[in-house]
Amino acid sequence: MNIHTYEKVWLAASMVLIVGFIATITYGAVGPGVSMISDDGGSIDPSEINDDERFEETGVTHVGGNEYEVAVLAQAWSYSPDEIEVPAGSEVTFYVTSPDVTHSFSVVGTNVNTMVVPGQVSEMTVEFDEPGEYGILCNEYCGEYHHTMEGTLSVVPEDEFDLTELSVEAPGEVESGNETTINATVSDGMQTDLETTATLEIGGEQYDEDVTIDGAGSESVEFAVDADQLGEGDHDWTVTVDGEEESGTLSVVDGANDDSGDSDGGDDDA
Amino acid sequence: MRNAYVDQFPAEARVVKSAFWSSFLALAIGGIFGLVQALHRTDVLRFIDSTDYYTVLTAHGVLLAITFTIFFLVGIFTWAVTTSLDRGVVDIRFTWSWYVMMVTGTVLVAVAIFSGFLEEPPSILGSELYADVLFTFYSPLQAHPIFYIGLVLFVVGTWLAGFDWFRTWWAWRDENADERIPLPTFMVLTTTLFWYICTLGVALSILAFLLPWSLGIVDSVNPLLTRTLFWYFGHAVVYFWLMPTYVMWYIMLPKLSGGKLFSDPLARVVFVLFLLLSTPLGIHHQYLDPGIAEGYKFIAMTNTMFLLLPSLLTAFTVVASMEHGARQRGGEGYLGWLTALPWRDPVFTGMALAGLMFAAAGFSGMINAGMNINYLVHNTWWVVGHFHLTVGTAVALTFMAAAYWFIPQVTGKELWSRSVALGQVLLWFVGMTFMSNAMHRSGLFGMPRRTAEPQYQNFDFEPAVGTVAEMDAQVALGAVLLVVSLVLFLLNMVLTSFNGTSDSIPDNTYAGTLSGPEDAPEILDNLKLWTAIAVVLVIFAYTLPLASIVESGGLFGPGIDGRQLSLGADLEPALETLREVVA
Amino acid sequence: MRVSKGALLVGIVLLVPFVIELRTALSWFGIEITVVESALVGLALAVAITAWALWPPNEDGEAADRS
Repeated sequence: MNIHTYEKVWLAASMVLIVGFIATITYGAVGPGVSMISDDGGSIDPSEINDDERFEETGVTHVGGNEYEVAVLAQAWSYSPDEIEVPAGSEVTFYVTSPDVTHSFSVVGTNVNTMVVPGQVSEMTVEFDEPGEYGILCNEYCGEYHHTMEGTLSVVPEDEFDLTELSVEAPGEVESGNETTINATVSDGMQTDLETTATLEIGGEQYDEDVTIDGAGSESVEFAVDADQLGEGDHDWTVTVDGEEESGTLSVVDGANDDSGDSDGGDDDA
Repeated sequence: MRNAYVDQFPAEARVVKSAFWSSFLALAIGGIFGLVQALHRTDVLRFIDSTDYYTVLTAHGVLLAITFTIFFLVGIFTWAVTTSLDRGVVDIRFTWSWYVMMVTGTVLVAVAIFSGFLEEPPSILGSELYADVLFTFYSPLQAHPIFYIGLVLFVVGTWLAGFDWFRTWWAWRDENADERIPLPTFMVLTTTLFWYICTLGVALSILAFLLPWSLGIVDSVNPLLTRTLFWYFGHAVVYFWLMPTYVMWYIMLPKLSGGKLFSDPLARVVFVLFLLLSTPLGIHHQYLDPGIAEGYKFIAMTNTMFLLLPSLLTAFTVVASMEHGARQRGGEGYLGWLTALPWRDPVFTGMALAGLMFAAAGFSGMINAGMNINYLVHNTWWVVGHFHLTVGTAVALTFMAAAYWFIPQVTGKELWSRSVALGQVLLWFVGMTFMSNAMHRSGLFGMPRRTAEPQYQNFDFEPAVGTVAEMDAQVALGAVLLVVSLVLFLLNMVLTSFNGTSDSIPDNTYAGTLSGPEDAPEILDNLKLWTAIAVVLVIFAYTLPLASIVESGGLFGPGIDGRQLSLGADLEPALETLREVVA
Repeated sequence: MRVSKGALLVGIVLLVPFVIELRTALSWFGIEITVVESALVGLALAVAITAWALWPPNEDGEAADRS
């Protein structure tokens, strides 16, 4: 076959270019370690997603050290959870799946970007070095309101991040002359022990209780409240721990009125 | 004595002309829809509901990427086979039958898609017409059965067209046993062969899974499987519509430049490479899909990169042929020869500019193909910018420019205005430059594709240079220029058809070669061999990924229902409730 | 004319992508220009090319106008 000299040179240069491209991509995979979304996440029955232990509860969980897992459900037309918070300096593994049609989970302006195909779990591990705010959007058409599907991802400074949860049980009413208790249950979602202080504010007074919670455990803190000290009337209370807050109202009523019973006065973040 | 195509092959010319007009009609509707989308997305002008945007988008994708391109392709290929073999088709009734089949398929698909504009679409076969599934029709989004039936008819029509070209060649071979396959016919046959290979995937996806599922015969599909079968076809289809463009660049552009094709053997090598490599790389559209192991993606990436080779060779051959032509016309100097090219000829200029745009598209394509950098651009507007340079310019502009030569050939009527035609191709180039540039840049900061309102409640995009508003304006401006260009093209075509026949139509010829088929090894013409190798490569690339997809997700998936996700007319409040419940 | 009208027109059209990319390219070097400024640069280049093309023709101006 008769090939012109220039054409041979061009052919050689083309091959160098092609091999060069393949080499840079291979380097990206083995050097900086950019791995592709793969079949590591496994398959899943879209109608029984909750049966998969990763998706029993969506959201952020701490695995240990600086490692976290985030389970996300992408569905028409929202993400659950739609606000994700992780600490800076962490290594986060996302598990994303869909109960309906194909979506994507794409963190805007980053290379966190995966298709979410029903029947499959997308798994990807990402390092978040710096604090920042990112948008999350669906970039695969998923029905009429596809364009409304969005979320946010906050990477917060490490010392501002916790997975502490608080729930409070308190009576709604107490008779004057009696004592009652406000019980705060503090749970620690991190795998590390948490030393913190639970604070109750009521009737202008502040009560502190130090509490130490084992990693992934929970502790109850009991605040004794003396009705006489408060006096008759409604008293707003607030329990805070580690930035979590819950409040309610305790009514001190006349002792003669004894048709009242204990009831749960606390309500979630009201 | 006039010797245009219509004089040589009057019967075939009628089919070719009909195919071209079918193509133009799709171009007209699809192109105008493109403007509607550009203005809507960028929030410059919104006169449709955002929920209807996806109907418009489906029509735009199907009409332009499938109907416009392939109808033009069958016209060009029929011309190329008959002209280069210097004989008509074996049976013109057969030729008409595949044309009619393709039209029928298109009409069915269009009916399903356009019903998306109706408040209450009629019910046929027990379900409401619906096809807001976009060009890719990913399950579990489910279209009405007639959408799938229409697609099948259309594809089978193209299969019959391919058979028609083969059978014409067989008839010629019986009379010319010792001759090499003429280059244009060789190009048509190799392209047809990889079309047969790649369409098997989409045919299987539709006939075995999607159609029975939409008819309620089976009640589940495996979304990853049908998606993978789609992309088995989905990348080769882009080469299918690119090949007639290459045919034009190889056998028309050198002639228009005033010279000859640089090398017949290398042209054959290029088309053989496309036959071999067009299909076993579809997984590069699925770099970010779960359920496909990284190794298979790496193989697809490698194959994709090697497919750069035929395009790079084409760039060389086409530019070398143009230089040869320019020097025949008296061009001199290292670059001075460029001014000697026939820039006033809209056919030449349109094709040359299309080729230039394709070079730019090649570079953005290399980035898409780069597996790990793909994370940054996958499903962003970058990709839309990329394929508006490939199919939207390299192909569309070449076709429009070619039409300025072909329509006089198949009608015997002189072009209404060559000056308007020149302005039209230049305007397309300028419009696409504006639009595609802004799309690419928007993709880099994460602006998604395929969305009616890329304006989000809780975050803003952060471009590195410029502003979102400015890029939106650039896209809108580009889209307006493109539609003006499109209108000028259609006007020229319509007014040409009102012209009387003319005796000054040039002869129906194509470019000769500097280095002819006698320099090409005989083995290049061994189509059976290349087809066998192509099939083996496909088996290597696809057997294991498909097996693992079926193994993990089942042939029919785990109880996946069809979904037509819509809330009906205007149900914004319902949506809000839904979002609150979910939150 | 030094080049044919067709070639001149194509030359001006080919400026468009360069002018559009100019802002992005310059920002790489820390130079920020506005849209209007880049449009003015484009206009100036187009005028310059046109002037070059129309400048008193070399002796055989007719021959240059080939296409």
